[in-house]
Amino acid sequence: MAGQEDPVQREIHQDWVNRKYIEVITSSIKKMADFLNSFDMPCHSRLSTLNEKLTALEPRIEYIEAQVTKGCFENLEIVL
Amino acid sequence: MPLVKRNIDPRHLCHTALPRGIKNELECVTNISLANIIRQLSSLSKYAEDIFGELFNEAHSFSFRVNSLQERVDRLSVSVTQLDPKEEELSLQDITMRKAFRSSTIQDQQLFDRKTLPIPLQETYDVCEQPPPLNILTPYRDDGKEGLKFYTNPSYFFDLWKEKMLQDTEDKRKEKRKQKQKNLDRPHEPEKVPRAPHDRRREWQKLAQGPELAEDDANLLHKHIEVANGPASHFETRPQTYVDHMDGSYSLSALPFSQMSELLTRAEERVLVRPHEPPPPPPMHGAGDAKPIPTCISSATGLIENRPQSPATGRTPVFVSPTPPPPPPPLPSALSTSSLRASMTSTPPPPVPPPPPPPATALQAPAVPPPPAPLQIAPGVLHPAPPPIAPPLVQPSPPVARAAPVCETVPVHPLPQGEVQGLPPPPPPPPLPPPGIRPSSPVTVAALTHPPSGLHPAPSTAPGPHVPLMPPSPPSQVIPASEPKRHPSTLPVISDARSVLLEAIRKGIQLRKVEEQREQEAKHERIENDVATILSRRIAVEYSDSEDDSEFDEVDWLETFLKDKKVPTD
Repeated sequence: MAGQEDPVQREIHQDWVNRKYIEVITSSIKKMADFLNSFDMPCHSRLSTLNEKLTALEPRIEYIEAQVTKGCFENLEIVL
Repeated sequence: MPLVKRNIDPRHLCHTALPRGIKNELECVTNISLANIIRQLSSLSKYAEDIFGELFNEAHSFSFRVNSLQERVDRLSVSVTQLDPKEEELSLQDITMRKAFRSSTIQDQQLFDRKTLPIPLQETYDVCEQPPPLNILTPYRDDGKEGLKFYTNPSYFFDLWKEKMLQDTEDKRKEKRKQKQKNLDRPHEPEKVPRAPHDRRREWQKLAQGPELAEDDANLLHKHIEVANGPASHFETRPQTYVDHMDGSYSLSALPFSQMSELLTRAEERVLVRPHEPPPPPPMHGAGDAKPIPTCISSATGLIENRPQSPATGRTPVFVSPTPPPPPPPLPSALSTSSLRASMTSTPPPPVPPPPPPPATALQAPAVPPPPAPLQIAPGVLHPAPPPIAPPLVQPSPPVARAAPVCETVPVHPLPQGEVQGLPPPPPPPPLPPPGIRPSSPVTVAALTHPPSGLHPAPSTAPGPHVPLMPPSPPSQVIPASEPKRHPSTLPVISDARSVLLEAIRKGIQLRKVEEQREQEAKHERIENDVATILSRRIAVEYSDSEDDSEFDEVDWLETFLKDKKVPTD
C-alpha cells in the first residue's frame, strides 16, 4: 500500500504543486492584463482631452495671427 | 455589451483533449497548461505592445501639434511686442479690399469606416468567416454593380444618406428658382394691408370734426385691418353700430360718406350680397334717405371689408368714369345708386364672401352704362362736404401707384374734381402704373376724400389685386371702352414692356439652369465621399437667400474642403 500510495500520492502531490504553480502564473497574467487595461483607458481619455484643447487652440491662434499679420488689423469674418 | 478589443488567445488552459497512450495524465495536463500559459503570455505581450504603440502614436502626433502651436505662439508674442500702432497706416481700401479671413475648417468625418478599424479588431474580424465569394459573378452582371453588394454592403447607409442629401439640395434649388420665377411673374401680392403713414393726421382731423364721426372712422379702420376675420361676423355686428351712429350724427358731412359708400359698394359690386340687405326702394326723399343710407353704408363697409379678400376688386375701374359731372342734388344720386345696387345685388349668386370673378364680370357688363352717371356725381358731391379733410389728403398715397392714376386723371377731370385731385398730385406718378390702377383712381380718390382712413388699406389693396388681375380679367378690356380717352394708348406699351422683361428674366433663369447642370455634372464626376462638403452644400442651399449666394457657397465650400481636407487615418 505504501508503495502504491507513494507513486500515486507523489504524482497527485506533484500535480497539485504544478497546479499551484500554474495558478500563480495565470493570476499574474490576469494582473498584467488588468494593469494594461487600467493604464490604457485613462491614457486614452487624457490624450483625447489634450486633443480637444489643441483643436480649440489652433483656430484661435490662426485668428490672432490673421489679426496681427501686416495689413489685416481689423477683425475679419471667420467662416467655419 | 462592450466590444472586446483584445482577446488573449488560448482562453482555456487545459480544455483540450488529451492524446491517447499517455501514462502520466496529470503530467500531461500540467504540461499542456504550461504551454497554454506561454501562448497566453505571448498574446498578452503582443497586445501590450499594441496598446503602447497606439498611445505612443497619439501622443507623438499631439507633440507635433503642440510644438507647432508653441512656435506660432512664440512668433506671435514676438510680433505683438514689435507692433507699433504709429507705424501702421490703415486705409479704407485696405479694410474693404482685403480677402476675408477663413480659418482652416477641418472636420472629423468617416469615423467608423473600415479603414479606421483598430488593428486588433481587424485581426478579430479577419478570424471570422468570410462571406460567400459573390464577387466572382460581377463580370456577368449587366448593371455593373458588384455581386457582393447585394449580399452585404457596408457603405449602404452612407450611400443612402449621400443620395438623400444631394437630392434635397437639388429640390431646394428648384424650389427657390420657382419661387423667384413666381415672384418675377407676379408682383408681390400684399397680404398684409400696410398702414398708411398719414393716418394719424386723419385721425386727428376726425377727432376735430367730432367724437361721433371719429368713432365711425375708428370702427372702419379696425374693420379694415382685421381683414382675415370672417366677414360674416363683422357684417352682422357692424350694421347695428353704424345704424346707431348714423342715427346719432346725421349731418351734411355724413351724406357724402354715404354717397361714397354707395359708390364703393357699387364699384365693388361684390355681390356683397347680403340677403338681409334689401335693395332700398327708389322713391325715397328726405327722411326716406335715412333708411337706405345706413344700409348702403353697412353694405359699403361690408364690401370694403371684403375688398381685399376678393379679386373682384378689379372691377372697380369699370364704374369709374373720368367725365366731369356737374354736382346734382344728392337725392337722385342716392336713388340711382341704390337702385343700381339693388339690381346688382339681386342678380349675383347667393352670398359668398369671395365671389368668383366670372359672375362679377358678367354683372359688370350690364352695369357699365348706368354707373357713370351716378359715379360722376360722387366726386362732385364730395367737394362741398370735406374741405377740412382736404388738406391732410395731400400726404396720402403711400402707394405711389394710387397717386399716379390720380395724377393722370387730373387733367381728365375738370374743375369740380380739381380740388379733390389737387391733393394727390404732388407725389410724382410712377412711369409704369398698371392699367388697372388708373381706372380705379377716382374711386380711390373718392374714398380718400372722406375720412374713413380705414378705407385706406382697402384702396391700397385694391390697386394691388388690380395688378395681377389685369392680364386675365375682362374688365381690363371693358375699361378702355368706358374710358377711351387715354388709357388704351398706354396699355399695349406697358404690357409689351412687361412681357419683354419677363421673357428676359426667364431666359436668364434658363441660362442659369444650364450652367448649374454643367457644374453639377463636373462635381459628380469627382468622387465625393466627403460628408462635410455634402452637408455644407445642403445647408448653404437651405439658408441662402439668393441664387448667386448658394452657388457661390457650394463652389467655395467644395474648394476649401478639398484643400483643407483631413481624413483621419491609421
